[in-house]
Amino acid sequence: MSLSSAESRKRYEELLPGRVNEWMERNGAGLLVLPGLLLFSIFMFFPLAYTFYLSLTNAQPTNVFAGDGLRGDEQFVFTEVLGLQLPIANYVEVLSDPAFWNSIGVTWLFVVASVGLKVAFGIALAMVLTSDRIRGKRYLRSVVIIPWALPPIFTITIWSGVFSSARFGLANQFLIWLGFTPQAFFTDRWLAFTTYLITEMWLAYPFMVIITVSALQAVPEELIDAAKVDGAGYFSRFRAVTAPAIKRPVMFAGILTAAASFQQFLIPYVFNRGGPGRDNELIILYGYREAFNFNQYGAGAAIMLTAVLFIAMFMLVAVWKGELAEGVNN
Amino acid sequence: MLGDIVGKKLKKDLSTAINKPREWRAEVEYTIEGIQRGIIDPKDVAKTALSTLAVFAFVFVLLLPVYWILLIALQGEGATLYSTDSAGLIPTQINFEAFIWVIGDIAIPAKIVGISIPFLGEFFLSWPRIVFFDSSPYVDSTSNFPRYFVNSMVVGFFTVVIALSVVIPASYALSRRQFAGRMKLLYGYILFTQVGGGLGIAGLIALYTIFVSFGVANNRLVLAVYYAALAVPFNTWLLKTYMDSIPVSYEEAAIMDGASPFRVAWEVVLPLAKPGLATILIFIFLTGWMEFIVAQLVLRPENYTLPVGLFMLVDTYSVPWGQFSAFALVYASPIVFVYLFAQRYIEAGLSFGGVEG
Repeated sequence: MSLSSAESRKRYEELLPGRVNEWMERNGAGLLVLPGLLLFSIFMFFPLAYTFYLSLTNAQPTNVFAGDGLRGDEQFVFTEVLGLQLPIANYVEVLSDPAFWNSIGVTWLFVVASVGLKVAFGIALAMVLTSDRIRGKRYLRSVVIIPWALPPIFTITIWSGVFSSARFGLANQFLIWLGFTPQAFFTDRWLAFTTYLITEMWLAYPFMVIITVSALQAVPEELIDAAKVDGAGYFSRFRAVTAPAIKRPVMFAGILTAAASFQQFLIPYVFNRGGPGRDNELIILYGYREAFNFNQYGAGAAIMLTAVLFIAMFMLVAVWKGELAEGVNN
Repeated sequence: MLGDIVGKKLKKDLSTAINKPREWRAEVEYTIEGIQRGIIDPKDVAKTALSTLAVFAFVFVLLLPVYWILLIALQGEGATLYSTDSAGLIPTQINFEAFIWVIGDIAIPAKIVGISIPFLGEFFLSWPRIVFFDSSPYVDSTSNFPRYFVNSMVVGFFTVVIALSVVIPASYALSRRQFAGRMKLLYGYILFTQVGGGLGIAGLIALYTIFVSFGVANNRLVLAVYYAALAVPFNTWLLKTYMDSIPVSYEEAAIMDGASPFRVAWEVVLPLAKPGLATILIFIFLTGWMEFIVAQLVLRPENYTLPVGLFMLVDTYSVPWGQFSAFALVYASPIVFVYLFAQRYIEAGLSFGGVEG
């Protein structure tokens, strides 16, 4: 006995519970988003999961690339915690390494200093660019955000030329013009750190300016006029009227830009590989070099995941604190 | 499609830019007249003029590094290497040697093409190298820019094709249909546009290991697939937002006329979404054009894209600064023009509360 295709189709539909058909009718459009979601997940979440696996092993180029496909000769590395054998030896090793804590310290210093600079500079520039005294503001604004449009690798290689230790570097020409001696910027720890800060500020201020300008334009003109009538000076006007109005967007932008600073990799990498020595390796670069320069893929993966954890915690606290502040204000 | 839209907008922008000086002159004339008649306080005018001047000077200093690079590039190959005073603010001599070094010959390479026609046999078509511009009278050697450029274009082309083919259906569904988890996905995508880059770097070691294990490192196509995946969240959200702004009445009319859902999407929504498509096309292309970290990790010299090529120049100290600067400028200039043109749309997109229904 053979079934015609119409009959088999009918049987098939009878087998399916009505709920499934109904669900397909309502949510079938969701299938259209699946290819993109899958593509994105494969390249975003799978590497992260694999990073977690690698961080538990003694992966090195010699063992991880042996064998076919993803299963190489790498082994879990165990350590005893509270009488249990756990495969977290890499984490124990990384967290007990002073170089790791140096990197974390430098990274946080970089985040705090660069965010402070970016926010202050961004607000100052935005105030100037919305001031009534300035003509040609629209053109200035287009020009001012140019650093944002440039590819990071372009700007950062240029800045490495600016701070070049040779006499023709722009920074050294400036120093000579001021009557100082030229400096080797990348071989002194704090000088190098300062060059990172200046470059990071230059890269990220346009974002702050754009956000702050649009926030400033939303400040009601009448409020400022009323404050003027009441005899408030420039600074008290800023403190009492402008600052509260732009606080939320600026804080939001500050949190985002802080997360970006935390992940800064290219500036130290292009300038001097986080040198001199390993003094200025920001955390992502530290993990990268541990893996690709010292061949410790397992430890590198552990560092990367710890860094992600730090960023996630920071974002959570920042968002939570930010909303808390808002609640107090309302 | 793209050229049409860009052309129209560009014309509008240009006419505004040309008319601006006339407006300024009118304003100046009005001010002068006002001062003469005593309506406008000259002190006030002086204050405005001085502060405007100061701000322009400050912005110039702020962007000095870019201007400096331009100067160095315009001074040719060797001028800046050993002299200390070469980077004065006004170029003393201008030559385009460095740029010629970057671009090299402009020519169609010699080729033999075989065409086989059934029953008639095979024909061979050959032509000699056709040279439009010969660089040899000007420079001794030329850069690898053309090769890197081709690599970047190949990567960019596949990135755009792959990304568009998954982004367009997704943004249509997100904009016009209801399904379970729709808002969650949208919020997830927006969140990832902000933190995705960091997660990408964190997964770098694993990504490299996976690529090498499967033997697909140093493969431009696989790199393009990776870039397309990176471009999904932001561009899906952007195109969805654009589609939201298209009135549904057109689609209702098409449905009343009996068009199938597919035809409504293909023949009504997509044509109306052209400007949005053009925007995401540029953004997707730029993903690969600008990405450096993964590219330099997986690609070998013959497949280097432009950002990697640029970095290799600055990392090899023997390359003269003029050549490096010209290379960097030729690489970055298209992007600057795109951004200056698209700036107001980007600013508009950055205003808050972009997530609606």
